[in-house]
Amino acid sequence: MYRVGIDIGGTFTDMLLVGEDGGAVIGKTLTTPGDPSLAVENALRPALDSGAVKAGERGTLIHGTTLVTNALIERKGALTALLTTAGFRDAVEIAREHRYELYDLNLDLPKPLVPRHLRFDVPERIAADGSVLQALDENFIRCLVGELRDKGIKAIGICYLNSFRNPSHEKRTAEIIAEIAPEMRVSLSSEVVAEIREFQRTSTTLVNVYVQERVSNYLAQLQSRLDQIGFNGSFFVMLSSGGIATSETSSRFPVRMLESGPAAGALAAAQAGILAGHRDLLSFDMGGTTAKLCVIEDGQPLKTHEFEVDRVYRFRKGSGLPVRIPVIDMIELGAGGGSIARVDSLGLLKVGPESSGAVPGPVCYRQGGTDPTVTDADLVLGYLDPNYFLGGKMQLDLAGARDALGRLGANLNMTAEQAAWGIHQIVNENMANAARAHLGERGKDPRRMPVYAFGGAGPVHGYRVAEILRLPAVISPFGAGVGSTFGLLAAPLAFDFVRSAYSRLDQLDWQFANDLLDEMAEEGRRILVDSGLAANAITYQRTADMRYVGQGHEVSVTLPDGALRPEHLAPIAAAFEETYRALYGRKGPDVALEVINWRVVASGPRPEMNFRLSRETPHHTETRKGSRLAYFPEHGRYVDTVVYNRYALTPGMTFDGPAIVEERESTLIIGVGGRARVDERLNVIVELTHGN
Amino acid sequence: METKTIDPVTLEVIWNRFLSVANEQQDALIRTAFSTIVRESQDLACGMFDTKGRMIAQSLSGTPGHINAMATSMKHFLAAFPPDKLAPGDVLITNDPWQTAGQINDITITTPIFRNGKMVALFANTCHSADIGGRILSAEAREVFEEGLRIPIMKLFDRGEPNQTLMQIVRINVRQPDEVIGDFYAQTACNDAGGRALLEMMDEFGLESIDPIADEIVHRSEEAVRAEIRKLPDGEWSNETWSDGFEAPIVVRCTVKVSGDEIFIDFTGSSPQSTRGINVVFNYTHAYASFAIKAAICPDVPHNEGSFRPVHVSAPAGSILNALDPAPVASRQVIGHFIPSAIFAALSGALPGRLMAPGADPIWLSVWRGQSPPFTLTVFQVGGTGARPTKDGLSAVGFPSGVAGVPAEVIESLSPVVMKRRQLRPDSGGAGTWRGGLGQLTEFTRRGDGKWSVSSIADRTHYAAPGLLGGQAGATGAVSLGNGTQLHAKALMDLNSDDVVHVNLPGGGGYGDPMKRDVEKVLWDVVEGYVTSQEAEKKYGVVVNYKGKADDLVKLPENWAIDHARTAELRGGR
Repeated sequence: MYRVGIDIGGTFTDMLLVGEDGGAVIGKTLTTPGDPSLAVENALRPALDSGAVKAGERGTLIHGTTLVTNALIERKGALTALLTTAGFRDAVEIAREHRYELYDLNLDLPKPLVPRHLRFDVPERIAADGSVLQALDENFIRCLVGELRDKGIKAIGICYLNSFRNPSHEKRTAEIIAEIAPEMRVSLSSEVVAEIREFQRTSTTLVNVYVQERVSNYLAQLQSRLDQIGFNGSFFVMLSSGGIATSETSSRFPVRMLESGPAAGALAAAQAGILAGHRDLLSFDMGGTTAKLCVIEDGQPLKTHEFEVDRVYRFRKGSGLPVRIPVIDMIELGAGGGSIARVDSLGLLKVGPESSGAVPGPVCYRQGGTDPTVTDADLVLGYLDPNYFLGGKMQLDLAGARDALGRLGANLNMTAEQAAWGIHQIVNENMANAARAHLGERGKDPRRMPVYAFGGAGPVHGYRVAEILRLPAVISPFGAGVGSTFGLLAAPLAFDFVRSAYSRLDQLDWQFANDLLDEMAEEGRRILVDSGLAANAITYQRTADMRYVGQGHEVSVTLPDGALRPEHLAPIAAAFEETYRALYGRKGPDVALEVINWRVVASGPRPEMNFRLSRETPHHTETRKGSRLAYFPEHGRYVDTVVYNRYALTPGMTFDGPAIVEERESTLIIGVGGRARVDERLNVIVELTHGN
Repeated sequence: METKTIDPVTLEVIWNRFLSVANEQQDALIRTAFSTIVRESQDLACGMFDTKGRMIAQSLSGTPGHINAMATSMKHFLAAFPPDKLAPGDVLITNDPWQTAGQINDITITTPIFRNGKMVALFANTCHSADIGGRILSAEAREVFEEGLRIPIMKLFDRGEPNQTLMQIVRINVRQPDEVIGDFYAQTACNDAGGRALLEMMDEFGLESIDPIADEIVHRSEEAVRAEIRKLPDGEWSNETWSDGFEAPIVVRCTVKVSGDEIFIDFTGSSPQSTRGINVVFNYTHAYASFAIKAAICPDVPHNEGSFRPVHVSAPAGSILNALDPAPVASRQVIGHFIPSAIFAALSGALPGRLMAPGADPIWLSVWRGQSPPFTLTVFQVGGTGARPTKDGLSAVGFPSGVAGVPAEVIESLSPVVMKRRQLRPDSGGAGTWRGGLGQLTEFTRRGDGKWSVSSIADRTHYAAPGLLGGQAGATGAVSLGNGTQLHAKALMDLNSDDVVHVNLPGGGGYGDPMKRDVEKVLWDVVEGYVTSQEAEKKYGVVVNYKGKADDLVKLPENWAIDHARTAELRGGR
């Protein structure tokens, strides 16, 4: 059986196929926005025909996509209605009654996915303890749904108050809709995310149902394209949590597919780390407009349950639509090759978050950009070769970049070169700063984690980011251009569940807790067995979100295996205190503990990742392509620096910084004192030596 | 590292680190806090101070009244406990209204940070406590002594040992001891988090002291604010804003004088201090006045000691904005939150096209207290903001306060209170070329039988948010019972088990002539139900007719049409 990973990004569709014998084929084609499945065919067909796959051989295809995120940003979902408890149809617009920025008088709030005229008050009410205060008005539902159907509404989200305690009204509403409008897409908040806080739950439910039709059409289209080209096997989709699910499950819960491309990138980093003997690392993906950072711990990316999509204000927390889903815990900041440098009103040099984007782009692209960017700085510093950008496909304008930096520098009493180094340093600091805060919030000490640098600009900046954070090494993978597909193949089949059920730990109804956990495990078992896994190959990871009674934010605690019993109380409490202390440095006050959410992750085995990329035929067979002047702060000047040809490096080679390693899509910069070696998988691993 | 001359790149790098240190402090606070007031509503401030007590960095969220008032409090902390009287592990506390945020519920906790035995910085935060004893938080007291337990500046921890005497006194005096003491711990832990992060960065950069960098930060921020002020025309402008007051209306009168690179804001002519707890201490007046100037002219300049300096604030002693001890002050926000609107209104001539119309202004606060089971719950709510020169106001968004709301599900999980409605309030936004933000219609009941009460602290129930430049006023708010009885907006009211309390929040003022509002925008407002078709015709001169079936539940945009002929007639030549 062979396996294929396909990642559809905004510009490129990447493919990695691994045959039964471990031989791998990679492919990269332009994305075809009109019908993305066409690009899949373009990427996959040559690989299938390449001889890596035997006729009739079964395969497994895993797919990552930014489709859901894009559909939300572009507001290209179905015409959707929202049904809420009477009196609460505006909860999704009233949101948190909060400005995410204190001083800006002109800020805008994100617009709800459903306009007010399609939000409806339903007579019904459930109390906080799950009891029914007012019965559901079924007649009203019948009238309303009939009208919605007749007026062309395609999707309905249902979010009633306290439904996470008692979903019966939501379920009954869905039954009635199924009778009256069987073709209507429906999402229940109690199924999408059974958690307290009506605004966040409604927002998540709406995201789910809003994109459902589009996603399921897309997946069906992709399936039929695969059938056409003779793909014989099963087809899975990458989830934001880093697990994978069947296309049926993904069509029901498309909200779980948000960010599946970046999730695959983090998994690729995790997998590469395992293979290189580093189970803890910092994944660092820097592209044209943003940088994404993610902590990998013991071979797994950290996960969270809070996410925001479509932030309208400089990546500011609170300026997007909140989504409560299990998602790989990544920070994204406005720091990329296109980030613009300027001098602010305090006479300080600022970089980003505004970006010149692909158009007009950096000054050196010669597409009309006039604001100096990070890429312009990198070029002037000698880190990029004006004649070998994208393998020479694009000529960069060094003189233009220098002029722009000279103008900027004049405001700071700096030369163009000094300004370039300032920009390089500040963007690195911004990224390191975000990483440090991210690590700090999670109680993690990064000092033993190497940086796994990828993305177009990642390897240019990875060394300095590691230096600022005092990390031991930088890993620069071979074939970083298709890095995400590598992650797709590394993902186990997995699905996450959550149930909110408040209880003080010392008053816990153990039977009730066991029933909830068993129920979720059973649901997971069913989904995974339906997806083709053997029941005995499934593992279940069980956690509880806990806090001191009265707090509002929880700490996730791993539960003991097997049925929970009263004698587990002490070890669970001890596990909580230990995690709490790691996060906040001291124990809380002497008050009781409570459990808020119960979670189960059901997963299949992690696939074996034993394959080798066949190296491309190099144009140069020489290891050294030559040398050029590049700036190194250790020398305080430009020095003649060796340029290595990435495609000619072989396992076991070593060399020292300062050095430049070039491949088509990216350039690795190694500072003075860095020691590079090439491992068996053609990763370049650079060890840093830190002064005091 | 040499810090005598700091190049702009290094300064930018270190400054950014300071800001992220303050954000780490804030995140730790929100995540470990107990009361909904801190963890859901974020009624808080966090900041870092140098050894001279100057605020150098402030966290991203927070509310202006706390941030700037906390900054002032540091002078008092250091006067009471100079650095030589402080040791590692010490933590200081106070809630004295005249020394911090002007309300006895606001607890400020400060932690000195030591490196090699020498104090290098202080971290502080101010949070609204769930309770502080005395009366339930209200506007009704006649002296500060009734408003709760006043804690002078003292040690909460002495070299790491908790002050058990103080903790015992607090516990016995408050209604929710676990929440209150839990928040003291959270407030302490977050200062630790900030301190740890600072020490790490000092090690990394080899800094013995942050003071030289602090000098540079203060200097540059001050210069940036001065540069912005110089761009304004010199002159003097006055305006006034009216509040419902308690027994009688209160006027906030302000004169703003721009002179060279300094601004002078004076509140002479405002009402004298009240006999009831709506008085504002000068700290708080200063906090909101300097917030208003920053938002108006230099929102991008980081907030620190330097950015306050060119702004001079004065208010006569004994006036409503400079009340004297022992005046009651617990509900100072109902007056204090008018300050930015008053200043904007005064400056609107000097800064054409930049400032917004007045909005609902004061945040509404209600404390719900009852038995079977016992509960005390503080709920913050907000109305609409004023319309802006090129945009509508924001609906159900607080301004100037930075406080957030509490989800109905959280309210109900903590008490038998049931929220029956939380809805945008049609026609409450002041009409204008740009419409004011909408207020809210909300309703509360309780489950089960038992005594309960509400202490409401609300305003703009008589004096609506005025419009600007031809814009009209927003709707006034009201607190009433289901049977229509109007309640005093600033009083404690005992309730029967089956009472329904309506809390209807005011809308923001409009900006510019409503007859000039884009007709398509008016149409959309009608489709969405932000404005009724009757008001559209009356206020905006736009006639919108519904063409669909009268009893349809689903009314789509295509069911509505503008009567262009009638609209042209109503709008005349305008």
